[in-house]
Amino acid sequence: MNEKKEDPLGIESMFSSWMKSVSTLWGDYAGFWLKPPVENQSDRKSTAGTGKDTKAAMAAALKNWQTWSQAMTTPESLASLFKGAGTMPEILTQMAQRSLGSFIDLQSKMVERVGRLGESVDAYQFEDLDENIFRVWTDIYENEFRQFFRIPQLGLTRVYQERVNHVVDHYNIFQASLAEFLRLLGMPLSRSLRVMQEKIGEIAENGTLPDDSRDYYQMWIKILEGHYMTLFQTPEYVETLSRTVNALADYSNYKDAFLEDMLSVLPVANRTEMDDLAQDVYELKKRLRMFERRSCAGASAVA
Amino acid sequence: MSQAKIPVDLILSKLAEDADRVRSRAHKASEVLLSDLNTHLAQTPYEVVYQEDRVKLKHYRSQVPIQYKTPLLVVYALINRETMLDLQPGRSVVERFLAQGIDLYMIDWGYPTRKDRHLGFDDHINGYMDNVVEYIRQRNDVEKINLMGICMGGTFSVIYASLYPEKVRNLVTTVTPTHFDTNKGLLHVWMKGIDVDKVVNTFGNLSADVMNLGFLMLNPARLMIDKYIGFLENADKRKFVENFVRMEKWIFDSPDLPGEVFRQFIRDCYQGNKLIQNKLDVGGRRVDLRKLTMPLLNIYGKYDHLVPPEACERLTHVVGSKDTEDVCLDTGHIGIYVSSKCQEVFAPKIAVWLKARDGKDEVNPARKGRKTKQSAVAKSTSRKRATSKAVKV
Repeated sequence: MNEKKEDPLGIESMFSSWMKSVSTLWGDYAGFWLKPPVENQSDRKSTAGTGKDTKAAMAAALKNWQTWSQAMTTPESLASLFKGAGTMPEILTQMAQRSLGSFIDLQSKMVERVGRLGESVDAYQFEDLDENIFRVWTDIYENEFRQFFRIPQLGLTRVYQERVNHVVDHYNIFQASLAEFLRLLGMPLSRSLRVMQEKIGEIAENGTLPDDSRDYYQMWIKILEGHYMTLFQTPEYVETLSRTVNALADYSNYKDAFLEDMLSVLPVANRTEMDDLAQDVYELKKRLRMFERRSCAGASAVA
Repeated sequence: MSQAKIPVDLILSKLAEDADRVRSRAHKASEVLLSDLNTHLAQTPYEVVYQEDRVKLKHYRSQVPIQYKTPLLVVYALINRETMLDLQPGRSVVERFLAQGIDLYMIDWGYPTRKDRHLGFDDHINGYMDNVVEYIRQRNDVEKINLMGICMGGTFSVIYASLYPEKVRNLVTTVTPTHFDTNKGLLHVWMKGIDVDKVVNTFGNLSADVMNLGFLMLNPARLMIDKYIGFLENADKRKFVENFVRMEKWIFDSPDLPGEVFRQFIRDCYQGNKLIQNKLDVGGRRVDLRKLTMPLLNIYGKYDHLVPPEACERLTHVVGSKDTEDVCLDTGHIGIYVSSKCQEVFAPKIAVWLKARDGKDEVNPARKGRKTKQSAVAKSTSRKRATSKAVKV
């Protein structure tokens, strides 16, 4: 009863029948091939050397196949196989769900932000900077997507694959941080223009509009400078700057490691090797100078 | 609702005038920019009298007889180049010092490469600087030299004079950061959050381009927009263009900063503020500012956005010397050396101050075979501490 419940479509029995038929087909075919054909005696002699080995290998393979297929058609094995096969879509569904959830989150933040457009601008105010869309994207990337780059790599080239994954991962992190940083840098520009518009409106109402374009420029550059000075002292800016520099350093580290892997096939010294050499030379020079000074001091003491 | 009073006719006629002016200016500007421009830097003659690795010691040739018994060694920062002190004839601190009869030496730190990343404070101060000072003492046959430091070079000079007070007669610090725990300058704010170990371990030296970008970011509105708008507005004036290009050449002629120097400067100074607290160790020796017993002249800029007055002015209050003077000029970080107004004040002030404290019996005991232990405190001609004063220029 239970088995029926787990396999209502009869997939397991279908698989079992297919395995048996395949086994029979290849068994018959192999049996036919292994049988000595009716042929000329002299021809048989000439091919005996190679044919014997090939047939032996074929017979061994056939035996393995039959053993494996028989084992696979037992009810226990079939259950395990289908359990494994069912896991893959489950993983994919989970991954998709997580990503979809993140995208929905991102979209809702964007909608929220779009809804705030057109609100009046407070000059020299840079509070609530954490509500920016790039930060949300970075968070989502760090929490959700970067796990894909951390899936353990297997096999002979696993180290190299992991390095490539690290480069891509940290490049994404750096780009996200840079985008956030550039958004902050662009903010005073857009704000100063909006504040400028409001100012011009006020001046126009008072009837004191300057007639020299230079005056407008001076007005704007002062507003812009003020906005930058305010922004640069906010903890958000300092934190974003620091995060961007760190992200760049991480990305550079992984990129350099990857490039050094590539360089190892060429007959040239890589940067790490040259750095080590420079450090050795530095330490040797330092010791040499110390000995030089000591010997000079000793010589003058004797004199 | 009140109707806006906009003088549209006036604005339009002004715009038309502007357009005509711009066209005429563009025509003249193209003539200027296509002609031969004199944008050379550092034209005062000198000879390299000492060299160690990339570090050179320049000795300037004076056209007038030397009037000072004690030679002056100028130590520039490792950021940017010392050519700023000799931008052009007529706008040169070097030229003014020479005209006063000062025997002038200046360190050229050269261009550090990646192999120099391991060189730190110890190598620069106890190594290169001390070797240079020893060379000058031997060459001029003097016991002590006058030391003048600029910006980070000033910090180096303060450290050097604390470690070797017996070799320094007078100390002049200009725009020199010694107290780093302030939020007045943006560098002080930003550097506190930097993971300096990560940066140095990754990049080795600090790239000059990155540093320059950082300096531009201190005031992007002025340094990245307004400055070039100003250039466009004056591109038809030959002198302006030559001066502008000369400054551009100087600003962007930047060496990389050796990684270990950067690490120590950020970690021990900007983040740890160890120097002013007498907690800094260089080459295994403690830097004690109370050992600065020689006369000290401390000059800084009121509007300095890189090294604000708050970072400079505390020095004179913590040193051992009783002969100290603060001079706050009404200018910025670079203006102290290059603005035409400061040119009239800065170098002459230093020359007069040094003259009043010039040595009388400058003989190198090592060369003459006699030992004289002279306390700088005992030799100080002035024991009063001058109060801070702002000099309008």
